[in-house]
Formats: sequence, C-alpha cells, structure tokens
Amino acid sequence: MLSALIWLPVLGALFTGILLPKWAKVSAIATSSIVLFLNLLLLRQFNLGEGGFQLQENLTWLDSIGLNYSLGIDGLSLPLVVLNGLITWLVVCFDREIEERKPLFYVLIFLIHSSFSGAVLSLNTLLFVLFYEVELIPIYLVIAIWGGKQKNYAAIKFLIFTAISGILILAGFLALAWLSGNGGALFDYQALQSVSLPLSTQIILLLLLLGGFAIKAPFVPFHTWLPDTYVESITPVVMMLGGVVAKLGTYGLFRFCVSLFPDAWSLLSPWIALWAGLGILYGAVTAIAQKDIKRMVAYSSIGHMSYILLAAAAGTPLSLVGGIAQMVSHGLILALLFDLVGIIEKKVGTRELDVLNGLLNPLRGFPTISALLILGGMASAGIPGMLGFIAEFLVFQGSFVKFPIPTLLAILGTGLTAVYFVILLNRTCFGKLDNATAYYPKVFRSEQIPALVLTSIIIFLGIQPQWLTAWSETVATQITDRLPSVTIAQTPSPSSFRK
Amino acid sequence: MLTSQLPPSTHPFADIIHRLEQGGSMLPDTEENLMQIIGLYKAYAVPMDFYWRDLLYIAEQVFLDPLPAFKYFLPQEYLDLANHYAGETADLRIWRGYSTAHQELLDFMAKGELKTKIPKLFHHLYHDRINMEFAEECMRAMFWHRNMGGLLEPYMDSEEYKQNADRAIRAYFQGNPIMLGLYRLFPEMFLEQCRQATMYSVLGLFWEVMAPVFFEMSDIYDEGGFKGVPDAMNFLVNGIFAIAGRPIYHRVNIRGEWFDLVPKAKGFTWLYEAAFPYVEAVFYRTSPFRGTKSYNAQAQEVPTDQNDFHYGVLYADKFPVASAGIPPTLLHQDMYHFLPPYLIDYYQKFCRGKDDMLIQLAVSFQRSMYNVTSAVIQAGRAAFLYPLDDPNPRHLLANRAYFEGQLTRFANPKYGMNKAARILAIQSQNYR
Repeated sequence: MLSALIWLPVLGALFTGILLPKWAKVSAIATSSIVLFLNLLLLRQFNLGEGGFQLQENLTWLDSIGLNYSLGIDGLSLPLVVLNGLITWLVVCFDREIEERKPLFYVLIFLIHSSFSGAVLSLNTLLFVLFYEVELIPIYLVIAIWGGKQKNYAAIKFLIFTAISGILILAGFLALAWLSGNGGALFDYQALQSVSLPLSTQIILLLLLLGGFAIKAPFVPFHTWLPDTYVESITPVVMMLGGVVAKLGTYGLFRFCVSLFPDAWSLLSPWIALWAGLGILYGAVTAIAQKDIKRMVAYSSIGHMSYILLAAAAGTPLSLVGGIAQMVSHGLILALLFDLVGIIEKKVGTRELDVLNGLLNPLRGFPTISALLILGGMASAGIPGMLGFIAEFLVFQGSFVKFPIPTLLAILGTGLTAVYFVILLNRTCFGKLDNATAYYPKVFRSEQIPALVLTSIIIFLGIQPQWLTAWSETVATQITDRLPSVTIAQTPSPSSFRK
Repeated sequence: MLTSQLPPSTHPFADIIHRLEQGGSMLPDTEENLMQIIGLYKAYAVPMDFYWRDLLYIAEQVFLDPLPAFKYFLPQEYLDLANHYAGETADLRIWRGYSTAHQELLDFMAKGELKTKIPKLFHHLYHDRINMEFAEECMRAMFWHRNMGGLLEPYMDSEEYKQNADRAIRAYFQGNPIMLGLYRLFPEMFLEQCRQATMYSVLGLFWEVMAPVFFEMSDIYDEGGFKGVPDAMNFLVNGIFAIAGRPIYHRVNIRGEWFDLVPKAKGFTWLYEAAFPYVEAVFYRTSPFRGTKSYNAQAQEVPTDQNDFHYGVLYADKFPVASAGIPPTLLHQDMYHFLPPYLIDYYQKFCRGKDDMLIQLAVSFQRSMYNVTSAVIQAGRAAFLYPLDDPNPRHLLANRAYFEGQLTRFANPKYGMNKAARILAIQSQNYR
C-alpha cells in the first residue's frame, strides 16, 4: 500500500511522459485521482488506537551500507501524505497555466509528489535523505522552466540552500549512524530511537539536523530563499512548494530532531521557543511591509511555519497535536492563498498592492475569488470556525504552560497576521475599480474549484477538528513520552548550557 | 458640414465644442454609438412606459396614503391609460404605435424574468418586476435640488398652492380624525407630502412624453431612418420644441372627485417645469447614491452648494453597477429585460459578454444620456441664441461662449467634478 503511494505516481509520470500533450493531461488526472483514492483508502486502513508505525514494508536493499527499503506510517506522516495527495490532485486536475511542455510538467510534479511521500514514509534515515535529495531536481526544473522573470536566480538560490540543507541532514544522519552502530552504520529509524547518546553529542547532531530542516521549512534567518522562490514560481508549483514540500522541514523537526535527541531538544527548547516567537513576529512584520501580494503571502508563510517550531519546542501532547494540525492547516491555507493570488495575477496582470483595487465588484471584478481570499485571510489569521484557529489555539494552549513569553509573542504575531491580511484585503478587494484598466477576463468555474475545495476543507475541519487531530494524538503522546519529564528551564539561562 | 468662421476654441474640451458648433452631439458620430444609444432608448422606453403610469397613479390615487405598500401594483386603469402622444387618440402624436401600455411591458409583467406566472406579490418581493425605486430617486432629486429654474417651484410655496393642498388633504382624510389631528399638529409635513406628490406628477408627465419619443426613435432606426448620432440628436431637439408648451399639472382623485393642486390653467409648461429641471437634477446633480461614488462629508467631499453636486448620470461611475445599494442598478436591470437583439449580440462580443452586460448597457445608457443632454444644450442654444450657420461672427461667438459655458461644467476641478465627468470616456469606443 505505502509503496503504491510512492511508485504509482512514478509509473504515472513515466506513462504521462511518453504520451502526446493532449493525452498527457488525461493520464495525469487519472494517476493523481487514483493516488488520491489510495490516500483515502489509507485513512480507512489506519488504526487510530495503534501506536508506532503501521502498514510497514521492509525490503533489504544495500544492507552493507545500512540502506534498506523500510516504510511505515504513523499519525505524523499520515496527514502529510494525504495533504500531498490532495494538493497534487488539485494542481494536476485544475491547472490552466501550463501551455508548453505539459507532459514534462506532469512528470516533474509526480516526481515531487513521490519523493515527498517517500521521505515521510521512510523508516530508514538514509532512504529519507535519498528521497529528500531526489526531490530537489524536479523542483529546480519546474522553477527554472516555468518560473517568472527571475526564475534562474530563484531556482539556483533554492538549489543552493536546499542542497546545503541536504548536506547538513546527511552529515547529521551519517554521524548519528556511525556513533550509534556497533562497528557499522545504523540508519534504521526504529532502532535509532532506542540509542542513547551523550548529551553533548546529541546537541551537535541536533544542531546539524536543526540547521538542515530550518533551511527547508524555512525558519528565520534561513528563509531568504523562500520569497524569491515562491514569487518566481508559477501558481501550481508554489502551491506544491508552500502547501506540501516545505512541510518536510517541520516533519523532520518532529520525526528526527525531537524524537531522536529528546535530551538535547529539551535543553535547547527554551531557546528554540524564543527563536520561534521572534520568527513569527519577523514574518508578520515583514509581511506588513510588502507591496507585492504574493511576496506578502510568502512572508506570512515564514511566520506561520514558526508556530510549528514553537509547538515542537514545547513538546507537550497538545502542542504537538497542534503542530501537526498546523502543518496541515498551513499547507491548505497557503495553497489556497497562492492559488487565489495566482488567479488575480493572471487576470489582472499585476500583484502590486497599490494597483489592485475593487476586486469584489460583482460584474467586473472577481467576487467569488475575492470572497475566498477573505476567507483564506481569515483562516490564516486564526479566526474561529476555520482550521487555522484550531491549529494555532492548540499550539498556544499546549506551549503556554511551558513557554509563556514566546507564546505571547506568537499570539501577538497572530494579531499582526490579521493586520497584514486586512491591508491586503482592503487594498485588493475593496474600493473602486479603475475605469481605465478594469477590463479583466472572467474567472472560469474550473479555475475556482481548487480554492472552493480547499476552503471547504478548511471550514469543515475548523468546525470538526477531531477529524484531523484524532490521527496524531497517539504519536504526539509517544513523542512527548520520549522527552524528559522535567522541563529544564522556562527561560533560557547560559548556565543551562554548561551542564 | 458647417465651416466655422471663428478661430479654434482653447477650451479643454475644444474638440467637443467644435463638434457642437458643427451641429453635432457631445457623443462622437459613429455607427456603434448610434446603435448603442437607439437600442438603449428602446430598452429604456419600455420600463419608462411603466414609470410614467405608476408615477401618475401615485400622484393621483395613492397621494397621501400613510402606508403605500401597494403603490407599485399598477391597476389596470392606469395600464390602459391612453398616452397623449401615442396612438390614434393622441393630442400630439409622436409614436405611431398604440397609446396603452407597451406589449413587451405587459408580457414582462405577466411572467417576469422567471417566465412563470406566480402571484404578483412574489414577483414583487423577488424584484422580478419593473423597479420603481429609480424613478422615485429621480423624483426626489428633482424635488430636493432647488433653483433649477421654472415657476413651479415658487408656486409650490405660494398661498394658492397651500389652499389647494389644504382642500385635498381635508378631502383625502375625511372621516379620519387621527390623520386630520396630525395634520393640525404638523401641517407643514402634510404640505411637503403634497409637494412630493406634485413632483411625482411632474416626472410622470415628463416621461409620458419621453417614452413615445424613444419608441419612435427606435422604430425610425429599425427602418433605417437615422444616418448618424446628430440625426438622433436633432430628432430630440425637434421633439423638445414640439412638446415644449405641453401642460404640467397635478390633480388628485379622491373618492371619484378630482382636486387640482397645480391646475392646468396656471400655464406651467413641459420644457421649463419638467425637462430642464429633470436634466439638471438627474443628469448633472442627483444625490450621492450610496456606493456609486465614494464620498466623505468630513473630508468635505460633499458639496455645500447644490449647484456643485455632480453625482448624476453624466458623472456616475458605472463599474459598480450590480453592487448592493445602488439604485441605478435597478434601472439597468429594468432595461436589461428589454434590450433589442442587435444590442444583445453586440454586448456579447465585448468584455465578459453576458456576464457583465449590465455594466455595458449602463455605459451605453450614459452615452445615450450625453446625447440627450446635447439635444437639450442645442435646444437651449436654438431657443436663446443664434443658428449655427449665422453669418454674424459675434453671434457665433455668443454661441461659442454658451457651449463653452456648458462644457465648463464638466471641467470644473471643484470637488473633483472634472475627474468624475465621463465626457472624455465616452469619446472612446473602448469605454464599455
């Protein structure tokens, strides 16, 4: 089952790649639909009450170097796999931007999809790195081929940053494997969980991995690749990047940083929480300063990813459930916002906040798109009744008991989120259309479908959050159990480092 | 074509002034413009046929009803009311058609946009009807703005009018001690209601003329009669002069007896008491409809002088049409139901086709009203000044000063009136 989720898209990609362009779309839709169906089937097969990894698959591959094909799924990876399936399906089925080299585009999207699924399903750290690295190539290509004016710059920047991220992670895993194995290298994730390393070693390895995943997520100050990459990527690509791929960073945080180095994590967590709080504020303040709506959404993403970092730092069951929910919430909301921003840019021809106006106009504007943008903004700002609120509230409630000041900073960041979304919505949707320029083409129904689907899910899960949080409650408890029961310090003190 | 003996005008709208001096309209003479304005006249004429009948019904029958919930439910008597300017029985026949309500109007009233016969109340509540709200807004604009010329306005403040109104009020509320008691307590309030009813009658009588004028123009166009925009404008100019002296009056029917508030014998005429004030109030000034134009009293964006109001059809931003709370939307909705097929086909080719037809027809309406205003300007010139082909250069200079004076209203920077005016926009065919 899990292998099918990884390899079926690859097969679909191969098949799609050899077809004529007019048939490529049909093949891509069929493939993504089957994969989405398998994802839904996976939800049925997953046992909520069962701890540990389920549906495991093990295949000896290069045993001599410790690289084995080990897959498994738990409450952390399941939501991300399904999110990946959903966003890929929306991107493939409803994309209207790609005019040239369609088959190649679908091939690359499926490769991104498969490598993401492979990474989050891997129970072997080397296999994880393999999928993690493989993903870079199709992403680089989709940015470089279909991107905006600065596509080459953005693609190269993304490649360099993410390659460094990969190198750090690989170094961390290699070091961990050598230090953990009795004479050999240990890459098996489940076995690594029972390895106990000295605290100083844990800290060094943790910092390596944390650096790698902080670039991928990204967290401030490792974020500088993100605005350029997101802004230069076309809508379907940025939906995949922001909605899905970035979650590899936060997934790695939960899966490896917190779970494999619990002592070191607990020691550093006050600093990490503070880092998260400042990152949230930085993202919000920078977003407020933007004049380009896509860039504004990109910076908002930086801030919102830091909520997950705060949740991980707190390490309480509630905050971890909130953090996983925030991964899904962020993925859905960001994909929605980028989709809507992409439609506006395509129809109006600009993303400039000072030029856009009056898009709620019922006949000459985009009333549905504007209404969905308002809903997306509300969801991102954590307005109750939508998924964003649930995720952020869980994070805040879970982390406040351990780190009140960073949590208050995060809450302040949520308030600032409302500020920049009010600015965005006020300038973009309200006001009057410019009579000289407002002859925009209409938005077709099919273009509205992805946003309608995403909004529906955001609202539904906002009203019925149990359908999301239930998957990850068990794994959150398991991760928390691995962390030391005593909080080292609420406020970081230099002396705590010298221990 | 006339050749001007004068040097070129230096006015910001010199091109348009030269066109007016040539006997043209403010609207450029193109086939597209002609088709748009005539099509719109026809689409406007059908609901207008309802408007004038209902306005007279409200003025004559509903009058001071404190709860006029059914004032838009026009009785058969008023649908059958013979138009004085159409059909065989016309006093002055303008339209060659019939004098009773237009057949397209009757068909629409029967089934509405739903194309289903359901109780009239449901059609009404669903706004699947001819919307009188815009007509009433025009009436209020005429009523509210002051000093627009004519003798009716001072007459409504005269003792004679007050006595006429007093008689009508007492007769209307005969046997109703509560209302008569209120009248004793607040006589000015009732008097003001009478003045408003008079204004209903004035606008009803104005549109009683305009509906057959527009029907006739549509028929002439369909027969290939108009060769350009100036032809259409000149038809209006000639019509204005033909109708100018027709009476403006107000009478009320109370239990079968007619009471005159403004008797015909007073000699108030159509051109001065209805046409000129209508153009001034509705085309130039109106009131700042909520949502039509962003205005802010605290920022002193709302003129203190009524002469400076500039929210009329000639200034209105048509792009927000269909937004909630903008009365002209209802007018455009009314016209939308009666567009001639050639205009529907035309709109399909531009912008969003059927989806934003309401705005496209609103812009055509704006063009057509610029043409009507041109006719009024030319009629004013003909009435008070000199022929366009006058050999005396001093007379031509006087004409030019008049035209420039008229066009300066659109160039006035006060309160941003120059930016709001759509006169430059309509010069281009791309303004849709």
